[in-house]
Amino acid sequence: MFRSPGLFSRAWVRRAITAIAVIAVLAVPLGFDEYTNQNLARIGVFAVAVLGLNVVMGYTGQVSLGQIFFVGVGAYVTAYGATHGWNIGVVLVASILIPGVIGLLVALAAARLGGLAIAMLTLALPIVGVPLAKRLSDYTGGSQGLSSAFSSAPEWSGLYNDQWQLYVVLVVGGAVFLLTRNLVRGKYGRAFAIVKSNEAVAASMGISPYRYKVLAFTVASLIGGVSGFLYMAVVQFTSPETLSLGHSVTLLASMVIGGSASIVGSLLGGAYYVLAPQLANHVDPNTTELLQGALLLLVLFLLPGGLVSLPRVIARKLRRNRPTGGADRQQSSSGAPARGRKAVEEAPTMSGIPTGRPE
Amino acid sequence: MKLKDYQRLTGAIALIAAVSTMTVAGCGRGRDGASHGGASTGITDSTITLGITTPLSGATAGPGTCTVAGIKAYFGAANAAGGVKFGDGKTRKVEIKSLDDAYDPQKAKANYDQLKGSVFAMTAGLGTPTNRAYRTAAISDKVPQVLVMTGDPIFNDTSQSPYQLSLVPAYPNEGEAFGKLLASSGTAHKVAVLSQNDDYGQGYVEGLKKGIEGASNIKIVKELTYEATDTSVDAQITELAATGADVMFNAMSITPLAIASLQKAQQLNWKPSWFLPSNTSSPAAILKPGNASAYPGVYSVSFAKAPASPAFANDPDVKKFLSDLKQYGSYNETPAFPHCMWSYMAGAILEQAFTKMTEPTRDNFMKALRGISDFKAPLMLDGTSVNTSVDKQPAVSAVVVQKYNGTGYATVENFG
Repeated sequence: MFRSPGLFSRAWVRRAITAIAVIAVLAVPLGFDEYTNQNLARIGVFAVAVLGLNVVMGYTGQVSLGQIFFVGVGAYVTAYGATHGWNIGVVLVASILIPGVIGLLVALAAARLGGLAIAMLTLALPIVGVPLAKRLSDYTGGSQGLSSAFSSAPEWSGLYNDQWQLYVVLVVGGAVFLLTRNLVRGKYGRAFAIVKSNEAVAASMGISPYRYKVLAFTVASLIGGVSGFLYMAVVQFTSPETLSLGHSVTLLASMVIGGSASIVGSLLGGAYYVLAPQLANHVDPNTTELLQGALLLLVLFLLPGGLVSLPRVIARKLRRNRPTGGADRQQSSSGAPARGRKAVEEAPTMSGIPTGRPE
Repeated sequence: MKLKDYQRLTGAIALIAAVSTMTVAGCGRGRDGASHGGASTGITDSTITLGITTPLSGATAGPGTCTVAGIKAYFGAANAAGGVKFGDGKTRKVEIKSLDDAYDPQKAKANYDQLKGSVFAMTAGLGTPTNRAYRTAAISDKVPQVLVMTGDPIFNDTSQSPYQLSLVPAYPNEGEAFGKLLASSGTAHKVAVLSQNDDYGQGYVEGLKKGIEGASNIKIVKELTYEATDTSVDAQITELAATGADVMFNAMSITPLAIASLQKAQQLNWKPSWFLPSNTSSPAAILKPGNASAYPGVYSVSFAKAPASPAFANDPDVKKFLSDLKQYGSYNETPAFPHCMWSYMAGAILEQAFTKMTEPTRDNFMKALRGISDFKAPLMLDGTSVNTSVDKQPAVSAVVVQKYNGTGYATVENFG
């Protein structure tokens, strides 16, 4: 671990690294083959969905099993708008706002309930969503679903479709990630964290748990809507199957595997959602569920903090193997106490504050 | 702080490395899908590769597994016999790549994206949403998506789906076959209809109405629907029983409801002749528990010989099918789902198209596939055949009406 401390704290270095990273990311679609691009785009779609779930569940601690419903509504709104020739900007806004409004309405009721009651209520969303999507066939195309190839690359761009779609995902998804990062690192993030660890403490500090739960849930459904828009841009098809409860549970598992209450963890969660079935298919197409289950258990046993904690775990191991470095040891063993915005990012459980409930 | 910097540095290095690798690699993307000396992707002088995306896990895994086992059994046997002789004079082995989509459209599309670079055609996959999910992509990539198992008519419309063809009869085909049988009976019948309130149930009812069009002896006395999520249809059965109809047309896809309907009508002492769709007419799973022998007749439709039926126990087709399935399809029991038979037939239909292909291209294959008429694939019942040249019809559109005889089904020519 040789490094010159201070170099990376300098503003110009950070800015340069950020600039290089952005350029590198923007160059990605041009360099990879079609299948890789499509996979990266899919990862982006579900990373956004997991990010939304992380806002309500990872950061605010409210169990939601309904995230896929908002993704589905976003996808349906996008498909409907695109097939009816709406302006693409209008489609994007509608695909975010409509799930957001539904999310707000559900949250106003759900957030009054405590603990697992919210889970039960959100569980109902996909269960109601599937028959509803079949029933409203004038808008949803019934059980045969809706196709829309609105995201084909325009002529002037000179790009292939997969490159264009990946750019759409990078720009829209990137914006959502940036906004969410700012949200959870600022005062809202701190409020979410306190609501998560102890509602009574939050209330005593003048933070209304109800209001922040509603806010987190609404933000999660807005982000779900964005994910639905991207889903349509990448998959170009939606049907009642899209909303099925099983996918909501997989999203939740992806969030835990990627890393709860973590921005990078959301990305890793998206990658797990997309790549785990493909990996399992690669090993043996007849036992995909079994292999994914085994993978889930493996991650939970070895990395309870999710994949995002892997560098931390490795660093700790490395440090432990070195006899010297008392200062380092002290820092790592103290975990991540509540240190302002950093703590919100790195410590999912806010270990500094005693929790009132055994969660 | 330090750890954070370390991560940041690693990330930046990884990104820069990735970009430079790409630049060094030269970014030469060959994406022409076809043309390596004229031949399409997935076909060489000695092999042809077919791709399948189908549910191999989850609730539809049973039928899904069959869709792979059947076609593997057929081509396993053909490969063991030396391969398939193509119309261009070359003999090729047929390889199958199958992937699990768990009935998830998104995964089906991902599987297609993965397979399309290495397979000649997609085939045999089960499911309407999953096949729909990659239909438009298959059209723009010009990858054939043929003999897939869905009752959705869009796959058979050549103007909308130039690279598609579905295998199995659509829901209206089944309803129409029964309607025609009723109409030709010559005697007056009152029909009660109970259908699922979606495109499945509507398809059957539409077919029935088409079949009895203009027949003055048949009257539909009452039409009711139920939701696929309903747990009971007792109320509907009671209402229909009150009409005194002598024929019950029950377009139902839910196994427990089908059993409950048969039981409820008996409790009410209403015993009409009964029609059930092909996928909810299993003697062992539905008719026995529903005590169907109480009714004057239970009718269904089919186009494949049922290996479980005693009538076909010594049939040479069935014997070869079962041994191929065991040896090459790694499927050891007698199949409980018709999809094993259908997929085996798909193999035979593909072989027909292969023998007519004069060039190793996808376009030539589609032409050859659409030129099959009156082909009797193995396991097909008398009175049914494969006709691929009729627009807006699946490869197999003819079904025969069968009547339950206490142990299995037997084809009937007349109603009653």
